[in-house]
Amino acid sequence: MAELALQPVKTRILTPQDNIVDAIEEYARDMVGPDDVVSVAESVVAITQGRILRPEDMRPSFPARILNRFIAQKGSLSSIYGMQAAMDAEGTGRVIFAFIVGSLAKLAGRGGVFYELAGEQAALIDDVTGTMPPFDKHIVYGPANPSGVAEEIKKRLGCYGAAVADVNDLKRAAVLGVTSGLDPKRLAQILIDNPFGNASEQTPIVIIKNYAQAEAASRAAG
Amino acid sequence: MDFLTFMVIAIVALALGVWLYIVRQGDAEFEFIVDQRTDFRVDEQSQSAATFSCKIPFVNKGTQDGTIMDCYPRHLMPKEYYNKARIQSWLTLESNPRDDGYWEAIIIFKTTGDAIILTIRLEAKEGTIAEALKELPDLPVDIVYQVVARSDWYITKTRMTVPAEELRQAIANAGISAQTA
Repeated sequence: MAELALQPVKTRILTPQDNIVDAIEEYARDMVGPDDVVSVAESVVAITQGRILRPEDMRPSFPARILNRFIAQKGSLSSIYGMQAAMDAEGTGRVIFAFIVGSLAKLAGRGGVFYELAGEQAALIDDVTGTMPPFDKHIVYGPANPSGVAEEIKKRLGCYGAAVADVNDLKRAAVLGVTSGLDPKRLAQILIDNPFGNASEQTPIVIIKNYAQAEAASRAAG
Repeated sequence: MDFLTFMVIAIVALALGVWLYIVRQGDAEFEFIVDQRTDFRVDEQSQSAATFSCKIPFVNKGTQDGTIMDCYPRHLMPKEYYNKARIQSWLTLESNPRDDGYWEAIIIFKTTGDAIILTIRLEAKEGTIAEALKELPDLPVDIVYQVVARSDWYITKTRMTVPAEELRQAIANAGISAQTA
């Protein structure tokens, strides 16, 4: 029986001029079978959706200038531009509310509440340097409607399923959108070793080969 | 003390506390240490052109991490002042050199640094580069860089002057090295 395997697919640099589904079809159509799941990196989906912004084009608000000061330096919201991007995406009121509740929760010994309450985009925004050139000077938001994108990929390629994933080298993987019937947690587990590689490897598509067969075998076994 | 007075005092105290926190937190602060640059050396030389480079260290001496979003050199030599050679200048990061003139935005952690490699190329408009260099005056160069950290992004510059004699000496040294080899 065919085994589960991960097949990264190299592409050119994809830009807001590209359509992600067209690009996947162009580069991966011949490699994808009916038992496979096509996964694509969330930042590339966001870039092709034009969800990028230069700090020079932003006008940070007073709340953004204050709140960013309380975010740890490694976080993308630690700059006034990252924080403003979160406020633009999720609403200033929501981010301020999340900050107040998150701060109180932290005082009570529970971290991470700010990101739980501030909305998905607050956790997905990449500050400058977060993406490879030529987007290293941009704020990159998370993708819009990732499950819709996944459904479109599946429809176009005739594969078993598709997913939009946020994976990094720090063994952190989250699947933001999947076609119906797929388990995001299971896919995140499969992608945990970051088969997308680093940005310079330019492999934003990873085909999970034989997924349907492997899952069926796994269910039958236990 | 009525409730309104208490609220006013509380808000003023909170604002003061936040302001003190921000002031104490500080920000990134970059310095290109042109006084500690290496001497220019010859990278390439032909009859009509010469390319020189040196390394210039820089440091984030601030209290916060900072990003250098862009960095480029601007040499200042109007033709009214010197018209014997075409001058080009470019730079790259020493730890991650590129050959396309593109500066990849980089985070520099507080109290750490790196270096840039500044390259200057002169191409004689007539005659040889040796002849063109004889009349070269000292060359002012601005290192221009864009920073973003905890506050608004800004563009600033560090000014330096490349002594013409240093370039002529580099050519002479390269000639001696070539003869020795």
